[in-house]
Amino acid sequence: MNRDPSPFRTASTASTATSPTPKYANLTASTNLRYSLTRKSIYDRHLNRTKTSELSKSAFAFLFGEMVQYAQKKVYGVQDLEKKLNLHGYAVGQRFLELLLWRDGRTAKRETRILGILQFISHQLYRAIFQKQADTLEKVRENEDEYMISDNDPVVNTYISVPKEMSQLNCGAFIAGIIEAVLDGHCFPAKVTAHTAPNEMWPGRTVFLIKFEPEVLEREALRVGS
Amino acid sequence: MVVYSFFIFDRHCECIYIRQWLNTASATQPLSRPVTASSAATVTTSVAEKPPSGGRLSMAEQAKLVFGVIFSLRNMVKKLCGPEDSFLCYRTGHYKLHYYETLSSLRFVMLTDIRTESLKSSLHQIYVNLYVEYVVKNPLSPVEHAGGEGVNNELFELGIDSFVRTID
Amino acid sequence: MFLFRLRSSRVFSLAVTMVVYAVLILNKAGGLIYQRDFNPGLQKLSSNDYLILAGTFHGVHAITSQISPTNETSSSGLEVLESENFVMRCFQTLTGTKFLIFAEPRQQNLDVVVRRVYELYADYVMKNPFYQIEMPIRSEGFDRHLTSYIKPHQ
Repeated sequence: MNRDPSPFRTASTASTATSPTPKYANLTASTNLRYSLTRKSIYDRHLNRTKTSELSKSAFAFLFGEMVQYAQKKVYGVQDLEKKLNLHGYAVGQRFLELLLWRDGRTAKRETRILGILQFISHQLYRAIFQKQADTLEKVRENEDEYMISDNDPVVNTYISVPKEMSQLNCGAFIAGIIEAVLDGHCFPAKVTAHTAPNEMWPGRTVFLIKFEPEVLEREALRVGS
Repeated sequence: MVVYSFFIFDRHCECIYIRQWLNTASATQPLSRPVTASSAATVTTSVAEKPPSGGRLSMAEQAKLVFGVIFSLRNMVKKLCGPEDSFLCYRTGHYKLHYYETLSSLRFVMLTDIRTESLKSSLHQIYVNLYVEYVVKNPLSPVEHAGGEGVNNELFELGIDSFVRTID
Repeated sequence: MFLFRLRSSRVFSLAVTMVVYAVLILNKAGGLIYQRDFNPGLQKLSSNDYLILAGTFHGVHAITSQISPTNETSSSGLEVLESENFVMRCFQTLTGTKFLIFAEPRQQNLDVVVRRVYELYADYVMKNPFYQIEMPIRSEGFDRHLTSYIKPHQ
């Protein structure tokens, strides 16, 4: 910081030249925001430290809102926007899965069955992120490769009202991205999409539609056969 | 209860009477000393001479603002609730403005502190017992009070003073 | 679930006796950004008339803070307006947004209502990424929560 030739720095030297007492002496002591007073960064903390801590919902809502606004730039239509949100969620999901399994320690287990992984998502993953379980987990009757996880009131959508001209949009695409990443991480490649499915009681009910790739079903069939 | 000031506007939207009572915060002053001297020829001239105290608005300027406000609010209320509704009063954090309009479009306005209850009946009393008695029935008073002429007679002022004391 | 709904309606809704006619929200420039009638009691105005009314009120509000007869230099503008048939509570936030609540005359706890409407605004309007600041509010979530707060029994 001392060698930094910033205009701020030159101003302080100029003032010390005129007055013999160095007024800005205390400023040269590093007040770097990246480190706390104990000189420990966020990476030095134990990973379990934030396991049970809670987050301000407002702070999250503002952050997520900004994220949606940012994602709205340079997109062509609702599908493009959902894809972007999905990608953001995917990045979160990849890291979160790692953390979740690490926290489970020796009890952690790699799911190998479709039902197992879906339950892992709707129970463990959901509880770790939202402190509640997903509301339902169903299989789509018509299609062999499709499953639905529903959330009556997704946290990300609490304060969001989608304008009429974008009625197809559901910002739960972010959560869908997280789910997709977790499925991918378990070698269950799938496409996950979020759809608004309101009912009388829950106007913001969202259904996450999971469509597995054909090879997943193939593998599942082999396992059942053996 | 503290009464700060009192205004009358005639049907030509002109301010025909202003009366200000000094704030009771300065306890040495008599409570209801009139600012508009009753001997002054017209209210407006006496008001114009008075410099704005401490950078605040002069009474004449204040009267214009008060009229602007009551005129707008009255129209707003009539628009929102039909012509038979009438605007009664409003309150800010520091004062309360009471409004009473007669059928002849005379408008009585009184500014008081915020704890004062509705003064609608009091303003009506001022109209009936003071304005009608001492201004309208006064044979020396003109019909139209351009520039406040004829309103600021001694009996009316004394009546207002004693009336304000009774509301206290 | 049913239990939850019962409890929430008791906590977050108005007393049964309270009748709110309408809610208006003005942006800091005096533009009308939200207008909604809840109960009959006020005249129906055209949207243009409402815009004029909002602009007028914005000006009047500024003047009312100037004609303060007391010596306080910083005076708030109009807070409560009473007429024969309604009472209006105006609340101006520190950012200059004004909330106007029209209700039946002689309502005492309009302060509570206005705070709650402000809270709903902060939640469901300001936290909505699709809301453009200072523009008219078209937020389905805000509408829904406002209705369930002001008209819980219909």
